[in-house]
Amino acid sequence: MKRLFTSLFLLILIASISAETILLKGGLVHSGNGGAGIIQDILISDNTIVDVGNNLIIDGNTQVIEVNGLPVTPGLISPMSNLGIVEINSLDVTRDDESELLSAGFSIFNAFNPHSTGIPWNRSNGVTSAISTPSETSFPIFGLGSHFILDGSLEIKGSKDIAMFGRLGASYGSRAETLSLLESLLDIGKMVNSMTIEDILDLNIADQLELQAQDIIALGKVVNDDMPLVIETNRAVDILQALAMKQKYGLNLVLVSIEEAPMVLDQIKASNTPVIIDPMDNIPNSFDELGSSLDLGRMLDQAGIPIMFSTQRSHNYHLMRQGSGNAVAHGMSYETAIKGMTQTVAQTFNLDNRGSIEPGKLADVIVWDGDPLEPASFPKIIMIEGQLQDLSSRSSKLTERYMNKEDKPSSYKH
Amino acid sequence: MKNKVLLSILLLTFIGCSESFNVDLSFGDSESDSINPGIDNAFASTYAPMNSEPMLFRSANIYDGLGGEFLNYDLLLSDGKIIEIGESITAPGVMVIDATDKWITPGIIDIHSHMGVYSAPGVSTSSDGNEATSPVTAEVWAEHSLWTQDPQFALALKGGVTAFHVLPGSANLFGGRGATFKNVSQNTVQAMKFPDAPHSLKMACGENPKRVYGNRRQAPSTRMGNMAGYRSAWIEAVEYTDGMNERNSDRRPTRDLAMDTLMGVLNGEILIQNHCYRAEEMAMMIELSKEFNYKITAFHHAVEAYKIADLLADEEICAALWADWWGFKHEAYDMVQANVAIIDQAKNGTGCAIVHSDDPVGIQHLNQEAAKAMAAGNRAGYEISRAHAMRWITSNPAKAAGILDQTGTIEIGKDADVVLWSGNPFSVYSRAEKVLVDGALAFDMDNPKIQPITDFDLGIIQPQANRAQ
Repeated sequence: MKRLFTSLFLLILIASISAETILLKGGLVHSGNGGAGIIQDILISDNTIVDVGNNLIIDGNTQVIEVNGLPVTPGLISPMSNLGIVEINSLDVTRDDESELLSAGFSIFNAFNPHSTGIPWNRSNGVTSAISTPSETSFPIFGLGSHFILDGSLEIKGSKDIAMFGRLGASYGSRAETLSLLESLLDIGKMVNSMTIEDILDLNIADQLELQAQDIIALGKVVNDDMPLVIETNRAVDILQALAMKQKYGLNLVLVSIEEAPMVLDQIKASNTPVIIDPMDNIPNSFDELGSSLDLGRMLDQAGIPIMFSTQRSHNYHLMRQGSGNAVAHGMSYETAIKGMTQTVAQTFNLDNRGSIEPGKLADVIVWDGDPLEPASFPKIIMIEGQLQDLSSRSSKLTERYMNKEDKPSSYKH
Repeated sequence: MKNKVLLSILLLTFIGCSESFNVDLSFGDSESDSINPGIDNAFASTYAPMNSEPMLFRSANIYDGLGGEFLNYDLLLSDGKIIEIGESITAPGVMVIDATDKWITPGIIDIHSHMGVYSAPGVSTSSDGNEATSPVTAEVWAEHSLWTQDPQFALALKGGVTAFHVLPGSANLFGGRGATFKNVSQNTVQAMKFPDAPHSLKMACGENPKRVYGNRRQAPSTRMGNMAGYRSAWIEAVEYTDGMNERNSDRRPTRDLAMDTLMGVLNGEILIQNHCYRAEEMAMMIELSKEFNYKITAFHHAVEAYKIADLLADEEICAALWADWWGFKHEAYDMVQANVAIIDQAKNGTGCAIVHSDDPVGIQHLNQEAAKAMAAGNRAGYEISRAHAMRWITSNPAKAAGILDQTGTIEIGKDADVVLWSGNPFSVYSRAEKVLVDGALAFDMDNPKIQPITDFDLGIIQPQANRAQ
């Protein structure tokens, strides 16, 4: 019952706040920039954080929300999700994450469904924005990911085609062929500087690779315009091959998974390459991942490599909290874990105006009911661009329905 | 031609379900136990505990796995058994381990694992969990696929798992027999088998069987086809069982491995672990069990169990559940995080809730999965304690595996399957420091010599460096 009242209170709170200025007072603020949490106030005006500190001066119209020492973090940003483009994995008719026609230039942006049930679910668990990506194909580059704000608005907010995603390793044919193919694609990207798209399309290689104009334009952005190229790879020697490619083409490379990274930490560090890992995946799922271990996060952190987090399973991208919590249990610093779900993602993917609690940033802010790295914790207040969000989801509606003991068919409990 | 083949996500969602309690071990006919002398003893456990010495944990905080919490208690283990739980136990000459500010729980038990039958690396040659060649393969036994060198066993041990139930996959209506194992390193399957643990029979509802066989244009291709498949098999099994009970041995049928398994269920010797997601399908399976007079021990993966929580409690059927996995297929769409708690609290708290993994990563963190499920239940309005929630990963799965008499709780006389945690096991920061199986130290976080390295791990990256060291 007590919990019910709490939720009611929050609902009333949300309904009553219409002021343009809000003060989140006295939270344990983890700003996301890698610093330790400190008790501070956060002043939010319209969609922006205008001040962070103690004893902030406010006017009479400011709504004050007492946070009472609860942890506060920036809204979490998933660096790799299927949010808004996959509803149910096993049903192709609910999926927009694959293209048969396009490869490097396949953009999922226009397929984004802001009403996907995964969005309120992940939002209510603390994920306020996400990069959604195309899914893996037999071609080494699968397409372009976009960043989406998870406020459910039909007016889609986000950044279109911000990074290209691909892979290197065992799966389809020899990795030597994959490497050669990747180099061919990057060479084509280079040609964009000196040739027209039409002329490139006429090349034999473009024909053989069945490239479309969109593919060539996108490859040009990776090679010439610093668009991040996100490559999933695991075997230690494959990581080195990817780093060599980064150097040769001057790529803005991001590495994913890298389960054998502990053997090549120095090289990753020297190349200044950020990484996305699933800290809980210590299974040698393939012969590329024999070096897999729960110590990966700690070792990357100690080497000073920027870390972000993926999750093992679809639909629950908030579980990067549990993943990074496990990384902390195995020696990663707490601050790196928080930063890895917020500012590191924003910095890596050029989401300049979010990812930390600092004046001038968009107010994507979560107040937690406990330590956000404990999987049992849950958001109490969620704000996206200064707007308080409803915490409900289809899941919470089902819970309410089936906890309602009224003697009538469940279809009438709503 | 396009050399790009789109990956279709391999949704081989393995299935599982286990069942529990009140197993009637009596036979339909007093002579039937002598009719098939081969069945009971074939492939029996040859497990022998590792050597152990008596051990006294001093000043521990203990969850007993039954809902009890004992703060600052001592725990004495000897001869592989739990000898004493109390305040200030004296045991001269016994090794003492200071457990101040640490926690002790029963060894974690997973009622739904495919370790050893879907070993790592997950290559085609190790894909031994689904005999997906016919919708009824009650004749296969998961243990006959088990690879003893699967590196996943040792990883689960580091997560505090001392026993686990290995099931065939969910491609088939009847997938075959499951078996329970102690989490010990041995080179034969029988030496890992949990002594005297009953077999299970894996059954599967819903999308998987109808997809696998429907895609081949054979039955079942629908849910009603699934039901017809179960019923046909049970009709045959009833006839077979009746035939085997004939006093005149000449009139008994020729022995049939699949029918042996189904007969074992009808005789109450084999426990039904039923992969089933949807509420109405579970209700249908309950009705099926009544039609043919057998008992379902547990529904596994039961994403919609909360919709029929009272029914499951009335029927004394456990629900083995994930904390939060969903969305990978349509029948897994209606996930609520309070599922485990709603099952647990049904009918005045008489429900049997289990947190299972079905996954080699999840099995290492069942304590965290239970923490999520408990927190979700409490947010929904229940008041579930940590001590109570510990049942979901210890005594309840032990009950569902039919091994509660031996393990699953911290009680005097039970197997000394025990975990010493660095902190409260419901925290993400706590790790299993010491894991004991039958009183023997099987894993010690502080001693590399007491951390199993499988043959697979040995020297595989470089001769001088083992995997996972």
